[in-house]
Amino acid sequence: MRRSIPELGLILVLAVAGGFADKPALRAQSKPIALQPVTFAQWQQKLAGYRGHIVVVDFWATWCGPCVERFPHMVELYQKYGKDGKIRFVSMSLDDPSDGPALQHAEEFLVKQNAVFDDFRMDEIIPDAFEKLAILGIPAVFIYDGSGKLRYRLTGDNPNRQFTNEDVDNAIKDLLAGSK
Amino acid sequence: MSQIRTRFFIAVSVAVLLAGSAGLYAGKYNQVVDIGAPLPQFSNLPAIDGSTLSSSDLKEDVVVLVFLANHCPWVKGMDGDLVKLVDQFKGRSVRVVGVAVNHREEDRLPAMKQHAAQFGYNFTYVYDESQDLGRKLGATHTPEYFVFNKQRKLVYTGAIYNSPAQMRTDGSVNYTRGIPTELYVKDAIEAALAGKPAPVAETAAQGCTVEYEKTGSK
Repeated sequence: MRRSIPELGLILVLAVAGGFADKPALRAQSKPIALQPVTFAQWQQKLAGYRGHIVVVDFWATWCGPCVERFPHMVELYQKYGKDGKIRFVSMSLDDPSDGPALQHAEEFLVKQNAVFDDFRMDEIIPDAFEKLAILGIPAVFIYDGSGKLRYRLTGDNPNRQFTNEDVDNAIKDLLAGSK
Repeated sequence: MSQIRTRFFIAVSVAVLLAGSAGLYAGKYNQVVDIGAPLPQFSNLPAIDGSTLSSSDLKEDVVVLVFLANHCPWVKGMDGDLVKLVDQFKGRSVRVVGVAVNHREEDRLPAMKQHAAQFGYNFTYVYDESQDLGRKLGATHTPEYFVFNKQRKLVYTGAIYNSPAQMRTDGSVNYTRGIPTELYVKDAIEAALAGKPAPVAETAAQGCTVEYEKTGSK
């Protein structure tokens, strides 16, 4: 079977990122993951349901190389902070809702990553999702405090203030310190 | 009383200056430059054909810089339309320059050459290892366009058109909002050639995030 160059590229990216799953804490689970589709309006309702918890939302997609590379860090943070339920971790895929193979890749990727937190996909045309979220692209991480207030909006939308994994760590530590 | 008036005047002046400088260049979407910003000077950027390009080499009436990344499906999705756009303005005083700044191997010069050949690039495609040009223009996503007029002032920045096109994993192109109906860059070039302002001056350049090196942060 011949594969197109973009397809081979995606497989390579997923394979590289999947390599992180070899870490003991991130060993792949066998349970399938089904992305929950949410429109932007439904997502707002879901967010309201998290009230009382710090919420870390990772906006990602299989087509986004940096997102795929950063994803294992989100799983590590979940292992560290998410298991007791105080912090809720959410992945929000911005893959094309009309691209079945891409969504399947996304679910397979999440299984490999052992992303056993809340896994959604935005059921919007991608540019519309960006507009509604007021971001220009991904990766992006939004972090809400227990009152539901968006406290950290980490994006790549300014060349001089792009966020790093360390910024995510520090934001979580800051909110945890404030909630004691 | 005059002392109070003087202090009040100074306070108001400082406030106005601060407010002005904060928003001097930031656009609606672009957080670094706004319409009217000058073309940043650059020199000796290596191009895929082995030559180099400097801003002083650009003699045409209209200059279009477009930030690209080979790996990005949003670049691949509109590549064909970019090539057509360049063809449309053949014989007119318009220069289109593709700029890549990412440090990923798949976005560097060797891969740029392959990508340009694969997609039939018909314009100069340069690599800015320093990432300075991208930083100065606030280019954060690919594809992202910057159109400059004869005075080398920015007249348009943002997307090529109103329906971002993504290349899917099967190689097909998906116009996310259907066939584009508003051709922002084409219209901006036409307006600039006619000495008029662009009908739409700024749009959101959605796509793949440009990865700037932290060491270069300002």
